[in-house]
Amino acid sequence: MTDQIPDTALPDEPKHVETKAVILLVFLGLMICGFVFYVMYARGVFEPTQRLTLVADDSTGVIPGMDMTFAGFPIGRVRQVELADTGKVNILVDVQSKDAKWLRASSVFTLESSIVGETRLRAYTGVLTDAPLPAGSTRTVLRGDATAEIPRIVATARGLLENLETMTSSGSDVNTSLSNLSAVTGRMSGRYGVLGGALGGDEEAKKLMEALDRVNLILAKADQRVFGQAGVMDDAQTAVRQLDVVLKDASATLKKVDAVLVEAQAVGANTREATEDLSALRGDVDASLRKVNRLVEEINRKWPFARTNPEIKLP
Amino acid sequence: MPRSLPSTAHPELWFAHARRYLRSWWYMIHLGAIAIVLAFSPSTWQRERFHATARHIHASTWQVLPWFTLAACLVSLVIIRIVLVTAKSYGLSGFALEMVVRVLVLELIPLCAALFVALRASMAFDASALGLVRRALPARGASDDALRRMRGDLVPQLFANAVAVLTLALVTSIVVLLLAYLNVYGVSPWGLGDYTRTVGRVFAPSVTAGFVLKTVLFGLAVALIPTAAILELQRYPRRLVSTVQPGALRLLFVLIVIEAASLALKYI
Repeated sequence: MTDQIPDTALPDEPKHVETKAVILLVFLGLMICGFVFYVMYARGVFEPTQRLTLVADDSTGVIPGMDMTFAGFPIGRVRQVELADTGKVNILVDVQSKDAKWLRASSVFTLESSIVGETRLRAYTGVLTDAPLPAGSTRTVLRGDATAEIPRIVATARGLLENLETMTSSGSDVNTSLSNLSAVTGRMSGRYGVLGGALGGDEEAKKLMEALDRVNLILAKADQRVFGQAGVMDDAQTAVRQLDVVLKDASATLKKVDAVLVEAQAVGANTREATEDLSALRGDVDASLRKVNRLVEEINRKWPFARTNPEIKLP
Repeated sequence: MPRSLPSTAHPELWFAHARRYLRSWWYMIHLGAIAIVLAFSPSTWQRERFHATARHIHASTWQVLPWFTLAACLVSLVIIRIVLVTAKSYGLSGFALEMVVRVLVLELIPLCAALFVALRASMAFDASALGLVRRALPARGASDDALRRMRGDLVPQLFANAVAVLTLALVTSIVVLLLAYLNVYGVSPWGLGDYTRTVGRVFAPSVTAGFVLKTVLFGLAVALIPTAAILELQRYPRRLVSTVQPGALRLLFVLIVIEAASLALKYI
């Protein structure tokens, strides 16, 4: 006996199998298309955007697809990260056109990396009335990396701790200073107090006190000699009075000298006038002599004995 | 009954075992190639063949879709709540949604769908085909009618299993995405923009392509490996040396390899 397996459908086959299969296939196709469309929409494929290029020194943490936020709201998406010919990193960001109004020419862009969590790309606009950021702009991004500060902080802390260890070790300057301070304060608690602490001990303070006593004694004696009876100050007062009398005499003498000088000035003036008259007189004398000369020459020409003694000699 | 050492204890048989092992893999790949070619051939989609395909689709997808979706949603809901509460307690609630999408939608749900369909397909084959194999054992080969039935049902069954994996994974993923939104933002439309951006950030082009490719490969593996194992048993009945479901271990191995490769490509 041979078991024959029928080729046709089984007798307990459900109804409308083909219809249900077609519905499932159409549903599957619609789901695939819808899912792909939604993913494309979520990736911003259908959004009108404008390109913004951010220049950074390091691209660590920057991945295509990450958001650029403004006030916590995503307004753009990193499309590509590339290394430029200058060695800098170009971060190409697609900013949605409807949100591009938040970016102005004075906007600042930062790239912040925290110890926990992802890197954040943020935009700050201080003056919203500035000119809008033009499409295709290139801006430098400021990087704030908390993890990058860790090595510097550790190095600084290590140096600080080493200094602290040096300061607190036995024989260090701080310990020596503290021991000296302790010695000073110990001396200050002695009989002479601060004076003993400052001078290095009670002996020195005692010497200083004795010196001060001697200085006081000398000052008392000096006071007696200077300001006492028949002291220096009395002699000085007498001398000052005599000097006043001498000065008065000198003043009277000077007044007389002044009168003499006035007289001398008058004499000088008269002498100047006389000198001026003497010049006129001399001119008259010269004119008279010239007239006499001409008269003598005339007589000589007319004198009968002009050939023998033709000339009259004037004295 | 005489006892003997396992075949691996004989080094002279290692080469023969390796050759048989490679031939088995080659048989499976060859069968898969033929099935794919037949699936894209117009003659496959004639009325009579489509009826068989529809019957398999109905059995493998239509009947199980509601229950699988319900069960997967319940488990996913628990996982979503755990992730959200844990992330919130650590102050990382901003990353919870992304983690839910990555863990559930991209990884767990396709794998669960593939395992579920594989289990169901294997049981169906076990009931119908294993009897054929056992019956063929003494006669060295199955009957022509049985083989014709298997070959006639091969392409529809492959196609139905692949459709089942795709449909279950996709439907459950979409429902889980909705559940994640409702858990994070509640019944409110105001989180839609933020949610859409998060989903868009997760589904980068490479990740989306990897997700689709992984799901398709899961479907092919689930459809092909048990079928190839049982057909191979019919051709070579002496290889039935174990009571384990034919092809089960190989299917599990292939699924793990696909999942591991997907994870490695995405995160390494």
